[in-house]
Amino acid sequence: MTQFVGQVDEKAEFPRESSSAISDSESSLLPMNSNSSTLPSPQFPVRQNHFSVLIKGNKTQIVVMSYEDHFQVIATQIGTMGTILYARKEEGVSMNPTFSVSVVFGKRDEPMLEACARQLIEKISLSGSSKPLVLSLGLKDHSTETLKGIISAVIHKGLW
Amino acid sequence: MMDSCEGARKGIEEVKLKEEGNVSAQYESCQLPITCFTEIANDASLHFQIIQFPKQIYVWVGYTSAKLGNLYAAAHTRPNNNVSITSLIGGTSDNTGSGLARRLVLKTGLNVILACNIPKNSPMIEAEAEKILVQKLNSLGYGKSRLEGTSV
Repeated sequence: MTQFVGQVDEKAEFPRESSSAISDSESSLLPMNSNSSTLPSPQFPVRQNHFSVLIKGNKTQIVVMSYEDHFQVIATQIGTMGTILYARKEEGVSMNPTFSVSVVFGKRDEPMLEACARQLIEKISLSGSSKPLVLSLGLKDHSTETLKGIISAVIHKGLW
Repeated sequence: MMDSCEGARKGIEEVKLKEEGNVSAQYESCQLPITCFTEIANDASLHFQIIQFPKQIYVWVGYTSAKLGNLYAAAHTRPNNNVSITSLIGGTSDNTGSGLARRLVLKTGLNVILACNIPKNSPMIEAEAEKILVQKLNSLGYGKSRLEGTSV
């Protein structure tokens, strides 16, 4: 049974009133209405895991979500979703799976971003899931160290 | 041949060890406000997920299922600061959700990434979802549109 640890974050990072941020939680089907003044809602159908980690001195917010037919991973250091990539396993007759990765929004000339998506979709495939991945990377730098840090954190906290 | 296999096996083990070595990172709570809720409309569930970035909003609208649906990006763009929308995943002739994405940009003044699995040719469901979403965005403090919002 997964454990949910929640807290109300009184200090949102930007000035408008916002709903509370739910702290790092183990993956679960959570009662996810984060507004503490409302009644608990039925279990939300999208599993999520969200946390932050320091990578190469940059605080990185990471959200991992499992929809019915996709995984979505958002990793941001810059306050936006950044470049969005789509990675999927291609079904074929061969024993060895093949994967396709494409940039659907943002920087198309950063091969390290595609390599990151490729690593993650391979990991997803190895875990037994054939769901495609939507990966958003809003990073201050695209160095190998940063992307390895992202991959390591996502794999450690993934929902697959 | 045997040497190359042995070399490959060692290489894979090294990568695995490195991978395991990297998970000693300190994880803290995420600072992005994430709001998830479900409303019942016309005997069907409408699920909403809002992730608030400082300069952007991600919204997912799910109609009875947890499928991702079509993904759109919308933002004010140069030169006239009009709102432009593009489909990123899915949504070819079916542009359910693109109007919603556009109106969210007008309302919030921020760039919007919207995922929506409302079936096509369902204007009533779309309207209901938009009404609920706008109410929630108002409660989150997005009540006034900002014409000086970020443009792409």
